[in-house]
Amino acid sequence: MEEQLFGTSLRITTGNNNNNNNSGTVSKRESVYCQQFQQYAHQLDAVNEKRERIVKASRDVTTSSKKVIFQIHRINRANRGAALQQAERDLHAVQSIHVRRVAQELKANETWKYKRAFSPGMQEFVEAATTLEFCKTGKLLTLQQLNASLSHLKDVSDAPFSISTGDYLLGVADLTGELMRLAISGVAAGQREVAIAVCGFVQALYKGFSQLPNTVDIRGMPKKMDLMLQSLIKIENTCYAVHVRGLEYPEDMIVNALEHEEIDSDQEA
Amino acid sequence: MEEQFAEFRVELDETGSVYEQLRIIAASLDSFIRLMQAALMPIHHCSFPQVKEKVKGYMSDLCGLYAQLAHVIKDKPGQYYRYHDLWRNQTSTVVFVLAFLHWLDTGGLLTHTETEALLNLDPAVFGIDLEDYLIGLCSFSNELPRYVVNRVTAGDYNCPKEVSTFLGDLYTAFRTLNLRNDHLRKRFDGIKYDLKKVEEVLYDVKIRGLLNGPSLQATATGHESNVATSHQ
Repeated sequence: MEEQLFGTSLRITTGNNNNNNNSGTVSKRESVYCQQFQQYAHQLDAVNEKRERIVKASRDVTTSSKKVIFQIHRINRANRGAALQQAERDLHAVQSIHVRRVAQELKANETWKYKRAFSPGMQEFVEAATTLEFCKTGKLLTLQQLNASLSHLKDVSDAPFSISTGDYLLGVADLTGELMRLAISGVAAGQREVAIAVCGFVQALYKGFSQLPNTVDIRGMPKKMDLMLQSLIKIENTCYAVHVRGLEYPEDMIVNALEHEEIDSDQEA
Repeated sequence: MEEQFAEFRVELDETGSVYEQLRIIAASLDSFIRLMQAALMPIHHCSFPQVKEKVKGYMSDLCGLYAQLAHVIKDKPGQYYRYHDLWRNQTSTVVFVLAFLHWLDTGGLLTHTETEALLNLDPAVFGIDLEDYLIGLCSFSNELPRYVVNRVTAGDYNCPKEVSTFLGDLYTAFRTLNLRNDHLRKRFDGIKYDLKKVEEVLYDVKIRGLLNGPSLQATATGHESNVATSHQ
């Protein structure tokens, strides 16, 4: 138990909380409220320790999800089949190991109490899952589909664990950033159609997001929407560059130009 | 994709309206608490019986407001913490007012469970978060140095000793908590300073020999008879 020595006028003795700490007489009377507060201490300890465990699990979900995303970026025409399969396996591992750890801490009525502890991890996981799905099928993995794949993870009361709408939306907002990178690297690899497919997809996403009401409940949504628009603009500029200059120049020159533009606009920002 | 977003629109509309419902009740709660707190503040210069009646007069409406919150939450089991920020500060203030009142009445500390009972709350549906309760106690502690100073000015020289003992006990009890470096920890640190100020007043009174002498106006203000000397 922590204790801080506080000046000389108070004369608090450290350690043993049986010492009364007032007016010079060191009587050995225990505070009448100690017993009551022992109960409070137990309750607080349980909450804090659980929260810490959840935060740790959430961080592991984040790191392992990021690894899946990095792998997806390394996919090229040569290794596509094998790489996708590997990413699939890794994503499943994230779910069955780390997301499970989060699920196992939560009782039915506690999801919202510890939300802030595991939200970032869930968002990253959604980002990884939806990125992989787009690479495989070109479609958006829906929340329903995602939660169906998680339904085997049970919480303390044996109810299936599910990701909330808010976390899903925030994760999908992050997805657009990854798609932007995929579009640009697709062009570099000579696959202009990737950029075009991504463009249409993200435009539809942005439209969907713009029509959502009442996101006051979802922390950080306005900022994510901003970033989403920035990503969309970059994707659209990529398609433009490919279209306009593609008539004249080969791919690598276009990509160089795009990268220079990115650096310029980042410096302006 | 559009289908999913259409479903989200419906869902977010619904949660948005629940949020709005609760926000409105919490806003009423907020202004009500301020009234209640204002009714308690004259304790620094008036007699307790006067103040007590006025503050207790607010209780049934206060219970009504919490009942309204509970009614909305009842339909949404497990979502107390989803909207908790809406009533977090108000609840801490309520605990502060009730704990102070209770101490003026009995000299004792109002417990977490007793607070919930006073407000007619069923913890299984809508209770008081333990941290909110503890922070309310810290606010109560913050009020005591000022109270003691004013009581001594009014001639009640026993007050410092009573408060010093009470606050010392409260502080000792708080020390049994394993606090993380968060908001509660900072508020808990404040109790030390409150205790220090009260002990300074006690010192002033003691060295002037006022402690064992006659208290001039204590009986006139009626405070002494109301605070039970529960220790020693």
